[in-house]
Amino acid sequence: MTDPRPKILLVDDEPDITTNLAAFLGRSGFTTLTAPDGEQALQKIEAEAPELVVLDVLMPRLDGRETLRRLRQSGNWIPVILLTQVGEAFERAMALEEGADDYLNKPFDPHELVARIKAVLRRARPGQPPISAAWKLASGPLRFDRRSRRVHFQDKELNLTPKAVLLLEYLLTHPDELLTRERLLDVVWGWDYPVGTRAVDTRVAELRRALNDDPATPQFIETLPGQGYRYVAPVEAGA
Amino acid sequence: MIRRWLPVLIPLALGLGLGIAFALGWLPNPTLYLRADLAALAQILGLLAALAIWGWAVYRDWLQSLLQENRQQQENKAAEDRRRFLQRLDHELKNPLTAIQAGLANLGGTPDAPALESVQAQTNRLSRLVADLRKLADLETRPLEHSPVSIAEILETLVDLAQDRAAASRSAGINISLSVPQAPWPLPEVSGDYDLLLLALHNLLDNALKFARPGDTVEVRAFEDGTSVVVEVADTGQGIEAEEIAHVWQELYRGRGARGVPGSGLGLALVRAIVERHGGQATLRSRAGQGTVVGVRLPISGEAPV
Repeated sequence: MTDPRPKILLVDDEPDITTNLAAFLGRSGFTTLTAPDGEQALQKIEAEAPELVVLDVLMPRLDGRETLRRLRQSGNWIPVILLTQVGEAFERAMALEEGADDYLNKPFDPHELVARIKAVLRRARPGQPPISAAWKLASGPLRFDRRSRRVHFQDKELNLTPKAVLLLEYLLTHPDELLTRERLLDVVWGWDYPVGTRAVDTRVAELRRALNDDPATPQFIETLPGQGYRYVAPVEAGA
Repeated sequence: MIRRWLPVLIPLALGLGLGIAFALGWLPNPTLYLRADLAALAQILGLLAALAIWGWAVYRDWLQSLLQENRQQQENKAAEDRRRFLQRLDHELKNPLTAIQAGLANLGGTPDAPALESVQAQTNRLSRLVADLRKLADLETRPLEHSPVSIAEILETLVDLAQDRAAASRSAGINISLSVPQAPWPLPEVSGDYDLLLLALHNLLDNALKFARPGDTVEVRAFEDGTSVVVEVADTGQGIEAEEIAHVWQELYRGRGARGVPGSGLGLALVRAIVERHGGQATLRSRAGQGTVVGVRLPISGEAPV
């Protein structure tokens, strides 16, 4: 990035949200534009070429989903963070179909939004579809088909629990990124959970067993003590 | 329903038609004199009475099933209304909370820190409540993961955790015990969603600990009765007043004894929603001043839940 202050477009019909978030993002080192609905968002994207869009789903005139669909249909792969719940399988499939780069559920901690924005910008490959919009993912001997929810490892199909599949999907679409247990909990379970860290650790252990991954010398999932996990192997959009 | 009664009309119409045909002289209409002895008459009367009673029974069943269906429909509608209400509430609370959180983040670092901190804490509390409400609305519709779950293992994890915490904190001096049968065979597994079952059982134990005082006993016990695994969490805590017992499963209900104890009033509602999604039942018995026992009944694997 050449511009030291990346330009972010905030789209939400609630002015109190856009003004407050814009101010906060401004203090966090971003230049911020705002739009109250999808139609104006599309115009601003055209006119101002922001580097990332934070898009609410429920809006008057043109809602977030339709806005994103139109963007992607016109071949615009500008990174988009969709403000919606990803926990629901249905929502997730939709979001994937739409090609969002990441999701955040309202209400959220604004610091979390900044962390998401930074991660997405770092991952973004200008003009190209993000990994998170690919239907098939490949990482070394690992193959993930997101349509059929099947995972193959060294050409053998893995028998994983649905939550482990979900967790693996999120790890694969957010490679080389520090993911806190709280974030993973939110993504995979959709809400906080009493013995949360244990729930994440259990699923990570399940994945490691399936991938023969030694936590001491991880090939796939690295533990960052006291912080969370990171998927360390390179990931590509598979054929 | 009406269709089942249509065959009754066939003999009726036939009789009526023939009667008219005889009366109008379309068919010869001779006078018949029937003679019967008392034995035959008694049998005929018996038969008629039996038919009448049978008809009445069928009618009553039909009426009852109609009422049942009606009640079911009303219940379904009430559940659907509630779910929609929760979704709307969630939606209407989300935006103001997002704005408040963003506003608060902007204020960070101003001099009046303690006031800010308390607003932040309350905002977080509201956000958690919203998340819990959504959880509840979600639970009734989201597909469940169905894999064999060892209730014994979950209980051991939870009781271990609770004992660790009890040693350190507010629940100091509470005796927590766990009893899971090993003979004649270990507790069977149930088919269900591990995380949700853990959440439900966690809430039960957490409740018992929240309302227990130092010196109280909390017993967690599990057993099976052939078709179900039953988990009971019993405590010698403050108990619940008789008139409050009916309300404890309701969302956001907090008994008099619960004031001053942290919590959202959604814990037991969540427990019930989770247990019912697994085809089980949750029950509660309590005596004020003596304690409470909450029971959860879950069908054993193979007894397919709905």
